[in-house]
Amino acid sequence: MIGTATTGSIKRVGDIGQFGRFVWRSTVTSLHSITRPENYPLIWAQMLLIGVRSVPVIMITGAFVGMTLAVQAYDQLAGMGLEEHLGVLINISVVKELGPVLSAVMLAGRIGGALTAELGTMNVTEQIDAIESMGTDPVKYLVTPRVLACLLLTPVLIIYADLLGITGGWFVSVVQLNINAKAYWSFSASGVELWDVACGVIKGFFFGGAIAVISCYKGFHCREGARGVGQACTEAFVLSFILILVLDFALVVIFKSLYSIFWPLRSLV
Amino acid sequence: METQKEQPGVNTQNQANDIKADSGLIVLKNVTRKFPGAAGIVLDDITLSIEKGKTTVVIGPSGCGKTVLLKHMIVLQRPTLGEVFFKGRRIDNLDEEELNSVRAHFGYLFQGGALFDSLSVAENIMFPVKQHCRITRFSAVEELVRNKLRMVGLDGLQNFYPANLSGGQRKRVALARAIALDPEVILYDEPTTGLDPIRSDTINELILKLERELGVTSIAVTHDMKSAYKIADRIVMLHNGKIIADGNADYIHNHSDPVVQQFIKGEISKKELEQLQKTSASNSIHLPCDTRD
Repeated sequence: MIGTATTGSIKRVGDIGQFGRFVWRSTVTSLHSITRPENYPLIWAQMLLIGVRSVPVIMITGAFVGMTLAVQAYDQLAGMGLEEHLGVLINISVVKELGPVLSAVMLAGRIGGALTAELGTMNVTEQIDAIESMGTDPVKYLVTPRVLACLLLTPVLIIYADLLGITGGWFVSVVQLNINAKAYWSFSASGVELWDVACGVIKGFFFGGAIAVISCYKGFHCREGARGVGQACTEAFVLSFILILVLDFALVVIFKSLYSIFWPLRSLV
Repeated sequence: METQKEQPGVNTQNQANDIKADSGLIVLKNVTRKFPGAAGIVLDDITLSIEKGKTTVVIGPSGCGKTVLLKHMIVLQRPTLGEVFFKGRRIDNLDEEELNSVRAHFGYLFQGGALFDSLSVAENIMFPVKQHCRITRFSAVEELVRNKLRMVGLDGLQNFYPANLSGGQRKRVALARAIALDPEVILYDEPTTGLDPIRSDTINELILKLERELGVTSIAVTHDMKSAYKIADRIVMLHNGKIIADGNADYIHNHSDPVVQQFIKGEISKKELEQLQKTSASNSIHLPCDTRD
């Protein structure tokens, strides 16, 4: 019993070490690749698959988040006679929290699953070995373009989600619930700062990087057979989701501290 | 057939220690490969020297470590113990970047072809060229692709995708990709498995043609004894992770070891046959359910 637990612990530590090495190698090769124009075609191709083709789902996610928030919060605020403040509540929730997190979760499902399944299948059909046997670094050829595409385009996709969330919230609040448009935007402008938008967008870099690295790692190390690939996809999504939540919490704490340092008085308001 | 005699390539334990790093194009010295779990020791203190310009065939039962041995020659897998040399230089301890330049001297035909699904036939063959050469004239690359496809008898399939090809065609495209950079060494993992006898013979003839025309050193892993006898200058038999026979086709054909004889004849042993017949006769298992109408 103790022996099994010890072996399990050693294996887990080994896995973490292997993941750490993979992250380090991906980071180094990504930094190297971004300075080499000959790698750009591979990065553009992944940007199309990962970024451009995710725009519709991200826009739908953002729009429904904004609309749902408006419907949910209206009754409470109207009960206190504060319905004109609905814009602040919706927009700050969308740009700071719900837009980035829900977009990242959506991307983890759409992109993460696809990346793990693609690389996992390449792994079990020896295509990754084939790349290596031809003297090409598979991390550089397969992982780097995907990591860079996710890293660079997740923040852009979050901006799309924010825009549609704001539009969705405005549509329900002003058009459906007849809140005064001028007051709606005026309160929103006074409550939402550029800092809030920036926090959401910066989160996108971390979320995108986490999704790409975890998905690629799981694809590279999946077990043989259809079951192995399926399991790797599930593990990649679950791990990405957990890491998104953990990173979100950590980043919120960091951003709050930074805000207090740079604008000590404003944080008291 | 020659009578059985000691062959220069046969490695007894004493001879293994005498093999030098530069005694062949590829040298494996006391290579042991251990896997965690049930697989255990797959290669057990293997010492092997591959001669330049010759075709060496590795035979042995399924799961005896043939593919693992092949992957060690190009360091796709690293030995747990022992050393691997290419042209006298130790390569098993090189980092990935240094290994990539060594691997450019090799072509590898994978068992299932391992063609890239997302790339066309032409793009698959161009892949190693693009990775290792600065392309100044695209028409020259197209000509190279056409030439390699002509060699394997598939010119005209440039724009097809692997999913649209038959098993035999996929293997031949994979061979065209393996020879794209005119490698010095080609490693074949089960080149004829899953092919009909005519396609198998086509692959055999291609391997011989490459040896004749390009002077490449070939190492093939196979179960197919007909293919082995046809292409081999030397046959090495692996069993339980060890080399149990090593010599030319005649030497292997007349080998006294019953394990070798059983394998090359493709016959089940008397003991196994008796056990099989006994099991099927005494244990007539009934399905634990009613049969359907």
